Amino acid sequence: MNEFLFTQVLSELEDAVGVENCSTKQIDKLTHSVDYFWLSRMWSDRGREMPQADFIVSPKDAKEVSKVLKIANYYKIPVTTWGGGGGTQGGAIPVCGGIVIDTKRMNQIYEINTDGMYIECGAGAIYKHIEWAANEKGYATMHYPSSLTCSTVGGFLAHRGIGVVSTKYGKIDDMVLQMEVVLPNGDIINTSSAPKHAAGPDLNEIFIGSEGTLGIITKAQIRIYAQPEVRRFRGFLFKDMHGAFQAARELLQIFKPSVMRLYDEAETASLIKKIVGVSRPGAFMNVAYEGKKELVDVEEKILLETFKKYGAEDLGSDYGEKWWKEKITFFYPGHMMDLPQMFGTMDTIAPYDKIEKIYWAMKKAIETEFPNIKFIAHFSHWYEWGAMVYDRFICDNPPQDPIEAMKLHNRVWNVGVRAAIANGGVVNDHHGVGIKLGRLMKEQYGPAMQVFEALKKTLDPNGIMNPFKLGL
Amino acid sequence: MEELVISEKAKKQAESCRFCWMCRHLCPIGNATGQERNTARARALGVSMVVRGTYDLSTIADNVYECGVCGACTNNCVTGWDPKIFIQEVKAELALKGLLPEYIKTILETYASTGNAYGAKAPEGYKDTKGDVLFVLGQDAFYRSEASYKGAVALMDKIGASYALNEKANDTGATLNFLVGKTKETEDAAAACAKIMNEYKEVVVYDPVDMRFIAHEWKEWGIEVTAKVVSFNDYVKANMGKLKVAKGKNVYTPQDNYAYARDLDDTETVREILGQVGEVKDMLLNRKEANMAGSLLMDLYMHDVQMQVARDRWFNAAAMDCKVIVTENPAEYELLKATEPEGSRVMTLEEAILENAK
Repeated sequence: MNEFLFTQVLSELEDAVGVENCSTKQIDKLTHSVDYFWLSRMWSDRGREMPQADFIVSPKDAKEVSKVLKIANYYKIPVTTWGGGGGTQGGAIPVCGGIVIDTKRMNQIYEINTDGMYIECGAGAIYKHIEWAANEKGYATMHYPSSLTCSTVGGFLAHRGIGVVSTKYGKIDDMVLQMEVVLPNGDIINTSSAPKHAAGPDLNEIFIGSEGTLGIITKAQIRIYAQPEVRRFRGFLFKDMHGAFQAARELLQIFKPSVMRLYDEAETASLIKKIVGVSRPGAFMNVAYEGKKELVDVEEKILLETFKKYGAEDLGSDYGEKWWKEKITFFYPGHMMDLPQMFGTMDTIAPYDKIEKIYWAMKKAIETEFPNIKFIAHFSHWYEWGAMVYDRFICDNPPQDPIEAMKLHNRVWNVGVRAAIANGGVVNDHHGVGIKLGRLMKEQYGPAMQVFEALKKTLDPNGIMNPFKLGL
Repeated sequence: MEELVISEKAKKQAESCRFCWMCRHLCPIGNATGQERNTARARALGVSMVVRGTYDLSTIADNVYECGVCGACTNNCVTGWDPKIFIQEVKAELALKGLLPEYIKTILETYASTGNAYGAKAPEGYKDTKGDVLFVLGQDAFYRSEASYKGAVALMDKIGASYALNEKANDTGATLNFLVGKTKETEDAAAACAKIMNEYKEVVVYDPVDMRFIAHEWKEWGIEVTAKVVSFNDYVKANMGKLKVAKGKNVYTPQDNYAYARDLDDTETVREILGQVGEVKDMLLNRKEANMAGSLLMDLYMHDVQMQVARDRWFNAAAMDCKVIVTENPAEYELLKATEPEGSRVMTLEEAILENAK
C-alpha cells in the first residue's frame, strides 16, 4: 500500500475506533504476529519477523467492528481477528498483513443471569474473568482448558475449544446459548435466542469453529452451572490401553464423570511420572465425578466395580487430586515441551470402534517415518460413543535453519493427520485448523468442502476475512 | 541499531516468558487497556527480539513503562519466572543510552529540580521534627496524598509515639528505581536515605513500596542499614493497645497492596488490625492475588489507564458487595478516591482505626 493510501485508511480506522485504539506501532505489530503456534514461535526464536499487520485496531463493540469491516471491504484489506493469541494453529496470525482486530476491549460482562443460568459478555472477555464473575455469585462456567487464563470467550468459540471437565459438562458449543456476530459486510446479527431448536439449521454452528473466516463473534451468552457439592478423584493404573477403553466405554453408558484422562504408556512414563508421581509401567487414568453427594456415592461404587472388571488397579484419590491441583502446571515454561524442541498436538476424535486403531496408526506412522521423533498421547474428552486422542510429537533437535525446521514440521503434521483421516479420524478435535492444517481440510471433506466454500463466497465475497485459514 | 545489554538472569526470564500466556488474566494494566502489548509475554517477546538484534532498543521503551511492576505475573508463575527483572534492567539501559521516553525525561527533570517526581512542596506548615523513631512517609504520601500524610501522622500522635520527621528521608530511592532501575543515581538516593535512617535505632516506613525497596533492593545492592526498619502495619499492630479502639459495626474490605502481599509476604497484619475495629470482608481477588497496580508515577503519564485500573478494582469490590475499601498505600488510596463510586467509600488504614478509637 502506498503512503498516501495507507494514511487515508489509517485516518478512517482512527475515525472508526478512536485514535488511541488504532495502532501502527512496531511493538503492537510484533505482539500480534506471534501466537502459540510452534512455527511462529520458532520463527521469532530465530530472530525472524513473522508476517505483521499494518494496522491494529481495538474496537469496543459490534458497531465499531462493523465500521472497521466496512472500511476493510471497501479497500479490500485482509482482516484477522485476534483474541488472546493463545491458539496453536496460527489462526490469529495476519499472514497477509492488513488489519488485526483485537477483541479484548470487548470484555464487558453485561449480565449474570442466574434465572437463565448464563453470563452475557463481550467476546473479548478473558474466560477466567467470566469464571470469576460466576464464582462471585456462587456458580461456575465449567470450562477449564489449560488456556483458561490466556484466551477469550470469542477465541474458544472460534476454534471450538474444550476444557478438562468436558465429559460431564460438554464442549464450548454445548456452553453457548446466543451469539452476536458481525458479518464481513458489516451487518450485525444475532443467532437464535436459544439453541437446540428446529427453526432451521443452528446459526451458532456456522460460526463456532469458523476461525474468523465468516464473521467476527462480538458477544455471547455463556452457560453457568451450579458448583458441585462434592468433586472426587480416583486414579487407576491399567495394564494397557485396550482394557481402559473397554472400561471407559462401559462406564459412559451408565453415567458421565467430569474428568476422564487416559495416558498411554509413554506419557505415563514421562509427564505423569514427572508431575503426578506415578512411576510404574502401565496406562494411568484419572477420573473425577461430581455433583450431589448421594449421587456421587452411587457413581463411585459403579466406577470401582466397572474398572475392577477390566483389571484396573485402584490408586486411590491422591494422584487425581494432585493432577487437579497441577493441571495447568504442565503448561508453564520449564514443565513441558518448549523450544528448542519441535512439538505439536495432533488431536483427533472418533467413535470407539476406530479410536484405538487411529492411535496405533498415528503412532506407527510418526515413529516409522521419523525415527528421532517421540510420540506420546492421552485421551481426555469422552462421550458415550467415542473419545478424543491428544497425540503429541516431540523432536528434541529440529533443524536450526528456520526454513528446514518449517519443512520438517509440516511433513510431520502431514504424516500424522493423514494417518488419522485414513483410519476414520478428523483433521482436528479442539485446537482448530488455522494455517497449520488448512491444506488438509479438503483431504478430509472431499466434495463436502464446497459447502464451506459456498458459505465463504457468499458471506465474504472479497475474501478479506482471515485469508488462508481453515483451508478457505 | 542500539543493542540491549542485560544480565544473563534477565535474559533467562525474558526467554522463558516470551511464549507463555498463563498470567495474562492477572495484569491489571492489560485488563485495563485490553492491549496485547500489556502482557508479560508481549514484554518478554519484545525484549527477546531486541536481544536478537531484530529491533532497536527504542522499540520497547514505552512498553516497559506501561508495566506497573506489581508482580501479579510473578506471583502467578508456578515456575518462578519474574518479568520485573528484565523490565527494570531495560529501564536502566534506556537511561544509560539516552533513549528514555520524553515523558520520563520530564519527570526526571522535575525530580532533579524539586527533589520529587511531582514538583510538589512539603505539606503546609510542615517542619522536620525530632524524636526517637524516624517516621518515613515516602514521597507519594508526603507530596501527593494529603489524606495519607495527615492520617498517618494523626495515628502516630494518637499512639503517643516519639517520632521524627525528615523530609529528605522520604526519598528512599524507590521513585528513581521505578523510573530508571538500578543506576548510580538510584543507589545514591538510597544511600543518602540510609545515612539518615542510621542516625536512629528504629525506623517506621509508611509506604509498603518503600518498605519493599528497602527490604529487597537495598539488601541486594549492599546498602547498609543499622537501624531496625519496621513496616507501618507492623508498628501499628504492635501499638494497638495504646489506641483504645472499640470494635464497631463497620465492614471493611482490605485492598491488599502488592508490595505488602507479594514482596513482603504480609497479608494478615491488615486483617488483624481491621478485625479489632470492625468486620473484615474480602473481595474475590485478595491477599497475594490482589489485582491493582496503582502508581502515582504512572498516573503522571498514563492517567486514563490508572483511572481504569482503579475502576476495575471497584468492580471487583462491587461484585462481592464490598462497600468500604481500606488501603495500605497512598497511591492506591488516591486512585481509588478519584474513582470512588456513589455509595462506596475508600479509606486509609489509619482512618479506619481512628474512626473507632476513643
